[in-house]
Amino acid sequence: MRFGIVRGHLTLNPAIESFHARTLAIVEPVTMENLSARNGQGGGKALVAIDELGAAAGQLVAFTEGREAANPFWPASVPADAYIALIVDAVDVVQ
Amino acid sequence: MAPEETGSMFLARIVGTAVATAKHPSLEGCRFLVARRLESDGSLAAEPNLVVDWMGAARGETVLISAAGDIARERLGNNTPARLVVAGLVDSVPTPESNV
Repeated sequence: MRFGIVRGHLTLNPAIESFHARTLAIVEPVTMENLSARNGQGGGKALVAIDELGAAAGQLVAFTEGREAANPFWPASVPADAYIALIVDAVDVVQ
Repeated sequence: MAPEETGSMFLARIVGTAVATAKHPSLEGCRFLVARRLESDGSLAAEPNLVVDWMGAARGETVLISAAGDIARERLGNNTPARLVVAGLVDSVPTPESNV
């Protein structure tokens, strides 16, 4: 999982059926430098992730990518490429 | 593509810990660490990863990360979004110098 900062949410209309009533968040991945500095900056290329935790804009999250992003919906088939798995309360890091 | 994206195993350095109250239910009780992938030249990847640990890895330690998701599914259930897991603590990594 990578770290990311939620920058906002998307609404789709219309959307494919498996995305109905899903919350989609725009997430900016965070580099080590910015994670250590706790400066609220990301630094990575923004992407869209499914959010079931209700992460607010500005919050630090960790998101999973690839096949595992669809696991939470198993056995249903949802075409998820990124999924917010947790909202980070605190990180304790040294560079 | 980087190993953490393709699902290959890779070496990483543990640089810290993370705490999360709101998380996918399958991750309840898990220990979260901040890890940086080790490049072949010994440098650390720019973007850190959050990994799940059952090995008790300490800060500064070099670990093997499994990125296939099978360990996570086996331990946390089929619904878990977790993928990067500490598969072992590295005792020693051969360097070109130690091979001669």
